[in-house]
Amino acid sequence: MSELQVGDKAEVTAVKAEQAVRRRILDMGLIKGTCFKVLRVAPLGDPMEIFFKGMYLSLRKAEAEGISVHKTGRTGDGVPMSCDKEGITCCGGAK
Amino acid sequence: MQRKEISVALAGNPNCGKSSLFNVLTGAHQKVGNFSGVTIEKHEGHLDYGAYRIRFVDLPGTYSLTPYSPEEIVTRNYLIDERPDLVVNVLEGPNLERNLLLTTQLMEMNIDFLAALNMIDEVEEKGISIDVKQLQRLLGCHIVPTSAKKKIGIDSLLAHIVRVYEKNIEIRKNKLSFRPEIEEAVDAIAGMLKREKEFEAADPRWLAIKLLESDREVYHRVQQYPVWVKVELALQEALREAAKLYDSDPEMLITEDRHAFIRGAMKECVRFPEERKSTVTDYIDMVVLNRVLGLPVFLFVVWAIFQITFTLGSPLMDILESLFGAISAAVEPLLVNPTVRSIVIDGIIAGVGGVLVFLPNILLLFIGLSFLEASGYMARAAFVIDKVMHRFGLHGKSFIPMITGFGCSIPAIMATRTLKSPTDRLATILIIPFMSCGAKLPVYVLLAGAFFPPDVAANVMFAVYLLGVVVALLSAKLLKSTVLKCDSEPFVMELPPYRWPTLHSVLFQARLKAMMYVKKAGTLILGAVVIIWAVSNYPHSDEIDRWAESESVRIEKSAGSAADKKAAIEALEYRTQSLQLQHSFAGRVGKVIEPVIKPIGFDWRIGIALVTGLAAKEVVVSTMGTIYALADTGESSGELAAILKNDPSFSRATALSLMVFVLLYIPCVAAIGVMKKEIGQWRPVLLYSVYVLALAWMLSFIIYRSALLIL
Repeated sequence: MSELQVGDKAEVTAVKAEQAVRRRILDMGLIKGTCFKVLRVAPLGDPMEIFFKGMYLSLRKAEAEGISVHKTGRTGDGVPMSCDKEGITCCGGAK
Repeated sequence: MQRKEISVALAGNPNCGKSSLFNVLTGAHQKVGNFSGVTIEKHEGHLDYGAYRIRFVDLPGTYSLTPYSPEEIVTRNYLIDERPDLVVNVLEGPNLERNLLLTTQLMEMNIDFLAALNMIDEVEEKGISIDVKQLQRLLGCHIVPTSAKKKIGIDSLLAHIVRVYEKNIEIRKNKLSFRPEIEEAVDAIAGMLKREKEFEAADPRWLAIKLLESDREVYHRVQQYPVWVKVELALQEALREAAKLYDSDPEMLITEDRHAFIRGAMKECVRFPEERKSTVTDYIDMVVLNRVLGLPVFLFVVWAIFQITFTLGSPLMDILESLFGAISAAVEPLLVNPTVRSIVIDGIIAGVGGVLVFLPNILLLFIGLSFLEASGYMARAAFVIDKVMHRFGLHGKSFIPMITGFGCSIPAIMATRTLKSPTDRLATILIIPFMSCGAKLPVYVLLAGAFFPPDVAANVMFAVYLLGVVVALLSAKLLKSTVLKCDSEPFVMELPPYRWPTLHSVLFQARLKAMMYVKKAGTLILGAVVIIWAVSNYPHSDEIDRWAESESVRIEKSAGSAADKKAAIEALEYRTQSLQLQHSFAGRVGKVIEPVIKPIGFDWRIGIALVTGLAAKEVVVSTMGTIYALADTGESSGELAAILKNDPSFSRATALSLMVFVLLYIPCVAAIGVMKKEIGQWRPVLLYSVYVLALAWMLSFIIYRSALLIL
């Protein structure tokens, strides 16, 4: 996940991290099958901000490394997109 | 009339509007304490409603009930141990999906709860439609749409609380079912626990789920009993099963099933508008988190907070100081006995004054910080600066307290409450005093001004400030890679949508911090100030007094103009003060420590100033004024500078060494007091004092010795 670019859309395939970090990521709702979009990275290059299920979430690249993703598309901009299309139905619904 | 009491706990995610709802519900009837053992605020309040007195407790905001963060542990323990009559789960309407995770965990706990679908006005504005009836059935609880901001649904919420309490209305509790393999394991383990009377208080199904989730608190609880042998076998079996069938583990599967349930509920009950319109938050963040503008905006905000706190605060501080000066002046003639007079004026009034002068700063800082926190910018500030802070093992949120430390360590230390992880917080608290505070400035001005030409003096002072920052960051790195190594807060943080905070909540927070400071730290600080006053005044030598008496008689009798005599008497008074100070405990300590501070260029006179400087750093200057037998000209001491310059034992190297030492050594008693209150124990504070003394000595030694060689 840490290798994604701003504007990339992706789907979470697995969350593998140290227990406390994994718990936190899961509690935020970033679980297998969640689709998100990379909105931006901080001015200094880390952390990054993603958008999913109507929520803005920031996480360090180090934490993002534990999240395996599969890139699903690219819009090229950092504008959040509709929940219906990007969050719930597009990949979650297909599962 | 005897009212029936109902205890209600408010639980919900951070930023769900829980505290606003709490404020609307309880109004003025609030009190704030701490949850036992942790510095997490516990807000309690009550409201009389018909024949009932409803007592509310506002639990800390949490996303989940796992035992990882202190907030989660507090919330969970409260729900298990205090057993409130019912829980109101406050949901952030526009962000329902994430909020429902906590709801599913409340469902598992098998406790009575109802949900407040808060910010219902925003839900409507955004064109989101929620089928409340169907959602009620799925969650197995009543749902009351509310808006704390617009005061919608408050009465209905209260009515529902009473009706649920009286079992007047009931929605059948719904059970969240997991996939069959997990259900089997849950049933098996719950069955084993059901027969044990030790676990009667908790729901066996809940315990079983928690065990499968490898919840360490529940593990510890069950491990103590013989039934553990059987339970452990069942857990291992579940682990094997999950690995075989899903290439996963039960914890993950349970989480996935919860989210699957939530997703299903969302699909069934919630309709979002076709196109997502860009929100205010999107537009603001385009600027505020912009790659180019992000940092300047951040620095501007920090600068503004600093300016508000200290530029606006210092005139108020001056007013308070002169107020206490006036009180002293008014009281002085009333007290005849010199000892009593000294105790009251230099001890008590100066002590109380010393505590209260910080109030304007604390109030202003916390008005600013609560605004940043409640509006949503604080999380963004951490986002922008985290990379730098993380390099030194700190969290992005540590930055603002650190910068505040340039003004005064006390509000800065109190501001570390925004940090969630105890180790991050402790590390930040401990490095704040290295950020050179406003009270140390007079010391630098005096020494740099006396020993360096004006154009160099400013650079010297800047270098001292810079040294403080470097020491702070390196100390943080050291602390975080040694004693405070364990669990840093993972940086997985929501950036909440921007919201305009209410004036009431901002002021309430600021007032709360101010009260806390006065009540808790104040008593400790006052005591310490009085002690320092005592050690610099006692023991009192009558011999010196007698000598001064005879000297003054001699001066009176001698020939000379009245002006000459007056000057001589004044000089005598300071000489007497100086001798008394040398005779006091502080003076003796100064002399005792002389061998220790000799290598860094200090004699006993500086030693005394360092001891009294523990009361407040600017006291170093006034003590040096007294001890060098001079007029006590306070902070802008031109004369003292001249004396020091001509003193053969005082060189440029001494001045540099002293500046470094004052920068780094033990902070003032007020800061120590607040540190103790915020950390909760003495041990770290004492260890810390040893650390800073050693560090200050070593750096001063290096600076002094190299300055001797170079200059």
